[in-house]
Order: sequence, then structure tokens, then C-alpha cells
Amino acid sequence: MPTILLYAYMALFLVFIVAPIAAVVAVSFSSSSYIVFPIPGFSWRWYWRIVEYRPFISSLIVSIELALGSALAGACLGVPAALSLARSRHAAAGLLSNLLLAPISVPAIVLGFALLYYLSALSFGITFLSLFIAHTVAAIPYIVRTVLATYRALSPNLEESAAILGATRWQTLRHVTLPLVRPGVFAGALFAVLTSLDNLPLSFFFGSANTNTLPVVMLSYMENQFDPSIAAISTVQMLIAIAALFILDRLYGIERLTAV
Amino acid sequence: MPPPVPRRGLRPYRLAGPSWCLPVVFFLAVFFVVPLAANLLRSAPAGEAGGVLFYYEKLLTDGYYVGILLETLKVALVATLASLVVGYPVAYFMVRHAGRWNGVIVFFVVVPLLTSIIMRTFGWRVLLSRRGLLNAGLLDWGLITRPTDIAETSIAVYIGLVHVLVPFMVLSISSVLQGVDVRLEETARVLGAGRLRTFLHVTLPLSVDGIVTGCILVFVVTNGSFLTMLLLGGGKINTLALLIYQQFVTTQDVGFAAAMGNVLMLVAALCFGMQYWLLRRTGIRR
Repeated sequence: MPTILLYAYMALFLVFIVAPIAAVVAVSFSSSSYIVFPIPGFSWRWYWRIVEYRPFISSLIVSIELALGSALAGACLGVPAALSLARSRHAAAGLLSNLLLAPISVPAIVLGFALLYYLSALSFGITFLSLFIAHTVAAIPYIVRTVLATYRALSPNLEESAAILGATRWQTLRHVTLPLVRPGVFAGALFAVLTSLDNLPLSFFFGSANTNTLPVVMLSYMENQFDPSIAAISTVQMLIAIAALFILDRLYGIERLTAV
Repeated sequence: MPPPVPRRGLRPYRLAGPSWCLPVVFFLAVFFVVPLAANLLRSAPAGEAGGVLFYYEKLLTDGYYVGILLETLKVALVATLASLVVGYPVAYFMVRHAGRWNGVIVFFVVVPLLTSIIMRTFGWRVLLSRRGLLNAGLLDWGLITRPTDIAETSIAVYIGLVHVLVPFMVLSISSVLQGVDVRLEETARVLGAGRLRTFLHVTLPLSVDGIVTGCILVFVVTNGSFLTMLLLGGGKINTLALLIYQQFVTTQDVGFAAAMGNVLMLVAALCFGMQYWLLRRTGIRR
């Protein structure tokens, strides 16, 4: 493909990527109560609507608590295992890494379905705890994957030096290892949070008034009415995700996040 | 003279022992392995009329369900090929042409991942519906005389799927292309090969690992997704994942839904097995 055609193609591609997102942001400011594009006039009314419509706000809070909580739990479970597996030469290490990465490969709708009936049988029922367990299972592979990659790239000499200089195992972990693998932990946690926020196939099985996540509420809202408030809440959710990415970029640098 | 202290060989210092794996292995055994195994039992009704494989028989012999199974695979295949065709030039551009714009391109490839799938699907409905932008444009240019509803067709589903999946394809391919030495392509050009020939005989074969990884990832993700079909398909496209969703919402036929889920899992497992086999083979060939 001649270079000029390639540039033209790239321009088209960027339009393709941005178009539906821009359309939603535009519609969220529509003054009309049904969806037309281009919009007839500007108004904030749909943003007021999402403040008034309780389920949007309460499910957004559930979604954020769930995303942060499951990423944290996933990190507590996944990071020690990744540190151990990265340096292991045992034959079982490869097998175990595959187990820890496996939840990514199982379709979320199947995992959600299986967990719902299993946890109900264990009388966990449809509670926040069930939802939290399901999302933690899904978070583990993202964190293990990035921490494995980060830690494998580090030389064991750094930790060995600390140990030779008299640091205990705990001190080495706290002052040498964890600071070095932190970009990997944060990159994995970021993927886990973003996936959790949008994980409708896993969440909708555990839907109840207290455990509905934002995508579940949005889907059921869309089945009954089709107005621009969906566009407004989508835009808010996107802004939250962008803000999270921005903060992480300020703290740790985006290059180091995508490099893994 | 004391004997020399035996060195531990070249074994590197290890901070974390094997026991550090125990909590996560326990957690995943209880909340991942056992539930999926229980799902297998759930799909096999022992002692009922029709036998243990009742649901699987229904799924693989009833014409309606066979049709859905085939449609699931067809939709995933078409979406995968479309994402490959759309995504490959983007990955190539990112690695070979973007230069200092690389960061900007990466941003635009990653930005959809910051929005919910519901948002993106909703956006396509806005653009493609009867009162949407596309119809307005086509009417203005006189290409059509009456607005048509493109949302609620299978084309809308494919557009929506490619939009969701193409970032995965681009990132899979670009990470492999980055490792391809640009001098190999330059050598081919110097030796007289045209652009197309260089691409077909040098660049494309060297990036095949990225293509395999990207295609299998996209294929498996499509098999498990139902939201795009639900919101953009208008009932025109029925897939296995969509059927599981509908079974759960309406009929609550647990055993049958479990059986369909296991078939989806089997397809995913076969795909990843194939990926492992393909990548290992290319690895040996080199």
C-alpha cells in the first residue's frame, strides 16, 4: 500500500474508533427526549436525570467498590504467587501459572452462570460477597500476568544483595521487591478494574437491588426506555475511567504501564 | 584446610517460596475449578429420562440448536477476519510509520477500552438508526431516497463487534511486528522486490505469530459475547452466548444452559490448544 493511502486509511480508522463514542457524548447533551443525531439543542437535563434516578448512582457506587475491592483482593492473592512462580524451576510452576491465567480464557457468561449456582448451593446467595468473589477470580489473571512479566525482567541480584547486607526476608520484600514490581502490580490492577467495571456477563447473574452493577442497571433501563440518560451515564463512566488512567499516569508513567 | 563451601550452583536467589502460591491456588480451586466441574455435572441429569447426555444430544441433533451453534462459529469467524483486515494496516502503521505519533495512535487504539461496551453499542445505534447521522448523510448526498434502519441488522452487529475487537488484534500484531527487523524488509526492496512482494513474502510471514494470537483471542472473545448481538442485532443474529442469556432471563432451564456453556468452553479450549500447537510449531521451524 503506497504511504499516502496508508495515511488516509489511518485517518478513516481513527474516525471509525472515535465516531460512536463521540456520538454518545453529543447525545448526552441533547434537549430532545428521544434519540436523534445530530441533536436539536443543548441541555444538561439528562445529567440531572441520572442524579434523580437512584439506581444509576447506587449501582455506580457498587461498581466502583466492586472494581477496587476485587482488584485489591486479586493483588493480595496474585502478587505473592507471581513472585514465587517467576523464579521457580519446578515442573509444576508452568502448570500453576496456567491455572492462575485460566480465568481470562473462560467466557465470562459461563463462569458467572457456574458461580451463581455453586455459590447459591453454598448458601452465599445473591449478595455483594458472591459478586466480589466472582470479580476477584476474574481479576487474578490480569495481575498475575503483568507481575510475572515485570518480575522476570528483574535481576535476582538486587534481592540477593539486600539479603547479603543483612536484610530479613520481610525487609527485602518491602524495600526492594515490592517497589520494583509496583508498575506491574498497578498495570495489572488497572486492567482488572477496567474489566470489572464493564463485566456485564459476570455481574448480571448476581443482580438484585443491592448488588446491581452499573452495566446491569443500564441494560435493564435500555430494555424499557431509550432516552439520552444512558448516554449521560456512559459519559460519566468514561470520565471516571479516564481520570483513573490520568492519576496512574501522573504517579507511575503511562509508558511503564503499556510497556509490560 | 577446611573443604570449600559448596556453592549452590547457578540457582538464583529466591525470595518467595512455593508456599506463597497456596492462598491463590486454594481460592481458585474452591471458586473456579470446582464451580466449573459442578457445571459439568449440572448439564448431565442422572436418573432422568433421556440419559446423561440428554442436553448435549438436544444441542447437537435438534436442527434449531445446530443452526445456532453454526451461526455462533460463523459470526465469530467473520468478525475475526474483519478485525484482522481492519487491524493489520493499523498495527503496521504504528510500528513502521507512526514515529513520534505512535503514542497518539496507541491512545486511540486503547481509548475504547475505557468506555463500556454498552456505550459503544449505544453509539452505533445512534449513528446507524433511521434517524441517525449515516442516514442523514446518505440522504443529503442523494445516495438513498428513503432512510433505512441499519441498526437491527447483521451488518450493524459486525460493525459493533469489529469496533470492540480491533484493539486486541492491533495490539497482538504490533507487539510481534515490533520484533521484526526493518532491515529484512529493506534488504528485500534493495534486491528488487516490490512493495507488495516484500509485504507478502517478508513482513506477513514474519508477523504470523501475532496474527495467530490476535485471531484466536478475538475468536474466543466473540464466542462468549452477547451484548452486541442483543443490542444491535434486533433478533437477526442468534448465538450460543445470547441463548444462554435468554435461557437464564426467561426459561431458567438450568441444565440446558449449563450444557451450552460447556460447549462454549470446549470451543475456547480447542482454540487455545490450537494456538499452543501452532506457535510451538513455528517456534521449532525457526
